[in-house]
Amino acid sequence: MISLSSIKKSYFIKNTEFPILKGIDLSVKNGEFIALMGPSGSGKSTLLNIIGCLDKPTHGEYLIDKKLVSNLSNDELADVRNTYIGFIFQNFNLIPTLSTLDNVALPSFYNGNVDYKKAKELLDLVGLSDRLDNKPNELSGGQRQRVAIARSLINDPAFILADEPTGNLDSKTGADIMKLIVSLKKDFGKTILMVTHDSHLAKLTDRVIYLKDGYITNKKSI
Amino acid sequence: MIYSFYFKLFQLSWKSLKSNIFRSFLTTLGIMIGAATIIIVVALGEGAKQDIAAQYSNMSVTTILVNGPSTEGSKSKLSVDDIPVISAIPAVADVVPMLTGKVNISTTENTASFNVVGTFPNFSSVANLTYSKGGFFEQVDDDDHTKVVVLGATVAEEIYGSRTPDVIGQSIILGKKEFEIVGIADYKGGAFGPITIDEAVFTPYSSSYRYVLGKNGKFSFNINAKNVDLLEDAMLSLTKVLREEHKLGATTPDDFKLKDMGATVASAQSSSQTMAILLGAVGFIVLLVGGIGIMNIMYVTVSERTKEIGIRKAIGAKDHHVLTQFLFEAFILTAVGYLVGTAASVVIYYVLLSFGIKVVFVGWSLLLSLIITFTVGMFFGYYPAKKAAALDPIDALRYE
Repeated sequence: MISLSSIKKSYFIKNTEFPILKGIDLSVKNGEFIALMGPSGSGKSTLLNIIGCLDKPTHGEYLIDKKLVSNLSNDELADVRNTYIGFIFQNFNLIPTLSTLDNVALPSFYNGNVDYKKAKELLDLVGLSDRLDNKPNELSGGQRQRVAIARSLINDPAFILADEPTGNLDSKTGADIMKLIVSLKKDFGKTILMVTHDSHLAKLTDRVIYLKDGYITNKKSI
Repeated sequence: MIYSFYFKLFQLSWKSLKSNIFRSFLTTLGIMIGAATIIIVVALGEGAKQDIAAQYSNMSVTTILVNGPSTEGSKSKLSVDDIPVISAIPAVADVVPMLTGKVNISTTENTASFNVVGTFPNFSSVANLTYSKGGFFEQVDDDDHTKVVVLGATVAEEIYGSRTPDVIGQSIILGKKEFEIVGIADYKGGAFGPITIDEAVFTPYSSSYRYVLGKNGKFSFNINAKNVDLLEDAMLSLTKVLREEHKLGATTPDDFKLKDMGATVASAQSSSQTMAILLGAVGFIVLLVGGIGIMNIMYVTVSERTKEIGIRKAIGAKDHHVLTQFLFEAFILTAVGYLVGTAASVVIYYVLLSFGIKVVFVGWSLLLSLIITFTVGMFFGYYPAKKAAALDPIDALRYE
């Protein structure tokens, strides 16, 4: 599904190089559910940005579905994000001025196939069919994350990126959301990469990857 | 598909503006005022122009007015005795004497104060008078000092309650003497030399001097040059022959004044044009300020919605999607501003009319206002939109 080979990423401040990722090799199979763990400063966010096509690596190759994406233009990357990747964020990232239904349908605007019917079906799936016209600030945290999950599915991406999806939720709501995410793999066959600090959540996944100092390590070091 | 996409994007922009309706209103207020100002300014300018045109409609650019000097104490020798020498000037086409003064005009029922004009029969053709009833008096009336009078339309209306009363042959009292009505002039509008035709009555020169005005009347000539090129020539000759006729010494100042109507009309027109340009500049400045207002608020909007832009980009919005959305927002603000401003200008138009201010609506002012409004609105809307579109999705997402 996705394959990263010798991915490096550095930031340059006044010609001084600050390497963040020092050579990442990673491949994820179709339908795999992977947890990405690591202390802060390990390069986790940077790696997630690169995998999410929000950022480009300094060196290395990144392929999604055998398609090279590490050298695409900004607009092409926007297309990849729109079509191949569904995002679930820690702080939900819904657009406050839009209704639940508009929020879910929004990614389908950007590929030209506005699909309200599917948006309604997805909201039904996450149990919010009675909240179509509410604004995000009229919903609880758990409900907002359900909206975000529905949104991540609207363009039927093969790959879901979840960045600490339960980080801003209480443990009971978090558990419900996790059930929903697990069902994305089980019932929809999605490939999922989830960043988490919670080793209990990591146990729900097929495989755990640890990141430390810009490298993937096999040792659990948290 | 593309159509529905942009339509959808347009709807999103609309929703976004509606979610903060008060701020959207403030943003577009400057555009509203600017659009209304331009339309009203054009209407005021056109009103002033038509006003001037109407006022001088009976004057041609070849007209020269000759009257006594305003300086006190100097007695003018200007009189009908000057007519032969004036007529003899080759550049002069016609000369009409006018003896004018305000008197009470009365019937058994009504009294009103209007100008009596004592003149020659050629007044009728020089002033292009037409009549609803009767006609002008004739040379024989002047020769015989006949007490006949022609009424202006407004005078007839004031005294008889109609601009076209059936009163030919009836008598009317000018000052103290009874005159017979021989004609009612059609409504004309505008001035002729020192008087407004509709607000005056006309009698033979000799009768007005003898029975009504006497030495209290103000005497003047309305002279036309044969054409505009001969105007200068006519004025020089007039000065020369009048000085000779009045036997003025080389050092004595003129006891008459020449006024070139062409120059008067031109200066009135140019001052009204200056006014229109000034008002137009005010309208443009208002719009400019309105445009800066749009830019200002859009900038605030862009910083405020940085996070939103980041989210949109993360889920697949390209730069031009964001740009288009913000341009749509600027477009909607401008369009609403223009429409409301135009509606407001209609209200202002009728308010001005009700205060008796001369305004004339001109169709092209709508187009002018449209073009300027949209140029300003979109110009100032573009830069913030461009900035929004260029945001980096990672930075924008991280923004709190």
